[in-house]
Amino acid sequence: MTDLSDLIHTIEYPYTRSTGPYLGPFLTGLRDGKLLANTVGGRTYCPPIEYNPESGEDAPATFTEVGPGAMVLGCTWVTDPSSKHPFSHPFAFAMLLADGADVPFVHAVDAGSPDAISAGTRVVAQYRDDRRGAITDVYFVPEAAAVDQSIEPGDEPVLITEHLISLVVREPLFPHRRRYAEGLLSGRLLGQRSPVSGKVVVPGRGYDNLNRVPLTEADELFVSDRGTVSSYTVLTPVQYYGQKETEPYIRCSILLDGTDSPIIGVDVRDIALESFRVGMRLQAVWRAPAERKVDGLDNRFGGSWEDVIERWEPTGEADIDPDSLKDYTW
Amino acid sequence: MAKPCAVIGIGQTKYKSKRIDVSLEGLVREAALRALADCELTFADIDAIVVGKAPDALEGVMMPELSLADALGAVGKPIHRVHTAGSVGASTAISGANLIESGRYERVLVVCYEKQSEGNATWALSGGRSGGQGAGGSFAPWIRTYITRSGAPEHIGWKVATKDRLNALKNPYAHLHLKDISIEKVRESPMLWDPLHYLESCPSSDGAAAIVLGSEAAAKKSPNKPAWVIAHAKRTEFGQFPGRDTVYVQAGVDCATELYKKAGITNPRRQIDCAEIYVPFSWYEPMWLEGHLIAPFNEGWKMTDSGATELGGDFPVNMSGGVLSSNPIGASGLIRCLEAANQVRGTAGEYQVDGAKVALGHAYGGAAQYFAMWIVSSELNPTFN
Repeated sequence: MTDLSDLIHTIEYPYTRSTGPYLGPFLTGLRDGKLLANTVGGRTYCPPIEYNPESGEDAPATFTEVGPGAMVLGCTWVTDPSSKHPFSHPFAFAMLLADGADVPFVHAVDAGSPDAISAGTRVVAQYRDDRRGAITDVYFVPEAAAVDQSIEPGDEPVLITEHLISLVVREPLFPHRRRYAEGLLSGRLLGQRSPVSGKVVVPGRGYDNLNRVPLTEADELFVSDRGTVSSYTVLTPVQYYGQKETEPYIRCSILLDGTDSPIIGVDVRDIALESFRVGMRLQAVWRAPAERKVDGLDNRFGGSWEDVIERWEPTGEADIDPDSLKDYTW
Repeated sequence: MAKPCAVIGIGQTKYKSKRIDVSLEGLVREAALRALADCELTFADIDAIVVGKAPDALEGVMMPELSLADALGAVGKPIHRVHTAGSVGASTAISGANLIESGRYERVLVVCYEKQSEGNATWALSGGRSGGQGAGGSFAPWIRTYITRSGAPEHIGWKVATKDRLNALKNPYAHLHLKDISIEKVRESPMLWDPLHYLESCPSSDGAAAIVLGSEAAAKKSPNKPAWVIAHAKRTEFGQFPGRDTVYVQAGVDCATELYKKAGITNPRRQIDCAEIYVPFSWYEPMWLEGHLIAPFNEGWKMTDSGATELGGDFPVNMSGGVLSSNPIGASGLIRCLEAANQVRGTAGEYQVDGAKVALGHAYGGAAQYFAMWIVSSELNPTFN
């Protein structure tokens, strides 16, 4: 059962980056065991830059090798590395000025101990065995710890890199969202009625956005789980990262009886598409209590209706006139 | 009283599904440098920069207006970013115009972009969750509502999709160049979000667009003809509230009303020569013709059906091929605004509307809830009768 007081959601996507004619050669150089730089406005930059940062003019796409030695200009010690850091043991992030360059950059130094690194320390580039044309192909060590490496250059230039970027969001539900989620787990739909307009919205937002008044527990009511289709589409799921849906299905808005704004994004998979229509009357069939879950629900997203409602059944009642539903399409 | 503002330079990249030959910085610089070249200026001549793009989750680059600042020559100059979802391109153009109209700046660079190939828009619009509806799945039910309400025949959507792709064949920057496009091809293409077919939907594009806006003095010094920004308006409403009409959107009606009033336009169909309207899904052409008071209620589809919105019709729409042919989302609204400017400058090449003097640029965004529109003219003080 979901702990409603402490929800954790991970948002994750494998973004790509086209490297372009400046960072591309630099990343290709890292894969091949070289630090490349370019000279812009009389100053040598490693990593190379695409334009003169002072004037915005194009920079030359001609590269020279700098390093492998570098000087520490300043540093900080990472005592407790996260899973995203380049080392799983303590290390330093340092401002490094590569030999031959005029502008420093930040990188990781595997110094062993914080006593082994400070401003003025000489360090040397070292390359990982598993290189993929990324900034993490290289790291630095104090000069005395450097070993000679024999690097086999790769074949193709690095044009695109991929980065699995994750954001872990941990948050308690707002009180009204928590009561709404508890309602779903108990097989009931909780709405809020504005004391100003008298309009009922499901789920409640905790405020009436038109009349700008807060809505509290005193404004809440359980509403019918029977209603009318007010708009729909047949959705062909786009096959993006993390998409679990593969086949087309109906997505609709349902104006629940006694409410003034439809529930949206409702999955329908058991009613033939040919017979589905605006104005059709439907009744929710809830999942068994032990099967209901609200994992996908947070303070912004409603989660999947399928997680709590097994299916929607036509009630057999006469349709509602679609014209009367035009203000309830979403 | 607002000071005059003109579009004095225009720059676009070629729109493509993947621009793997450039970095993000390289992409935006391509458009910016072309806009500067069009008015024979350099970054040094620019007083302020405005950047627009769709939500950060599209490329996974947080606050790109900071990392792009020096790529856009903004060192030591004010730069800000505008954020109004799909309408952002037009909102950004308007923000730039406000900077000139305030009298504070002489020349402002406006740059918008999207590099859709680096992420996935439907994933981003779904908050990274499975089962997302995306833009097409969200708009499709409202399009169905429009069709039911207006009694429009189903071929209207196919007709718009075909017309805009035929127009795109005349635009070298357009992403889609579908030489064999036809109503039959649109009708036979897969149904993606009923009632929308695959070919009734916009592509995913990489690309950037830029304009240089100038004061009256800057425009008079500029080597090429200016497009005067004679009016602009923005309106927003909540995405969901009891009684919201998602088809004939009140904020869209209000936005158009204010725009025409500011411009002195009393009959938009007759007094505006052509329009670049944000139409990412075919049916939004008739829907916005009505929703922005160009066609009578429930009769926008008749205007489309009559051929009035074709290049050569009496109210051409999306002469450049529109969003249906190129969709770098964050830039798409600015492209509408700059293509309107191209028309009144007489620089629209093969898709030029003969004698265009007054043109509309438009974008909408979110759950059809954000609107940004401008009117540009070949004349600083056009008169309408």
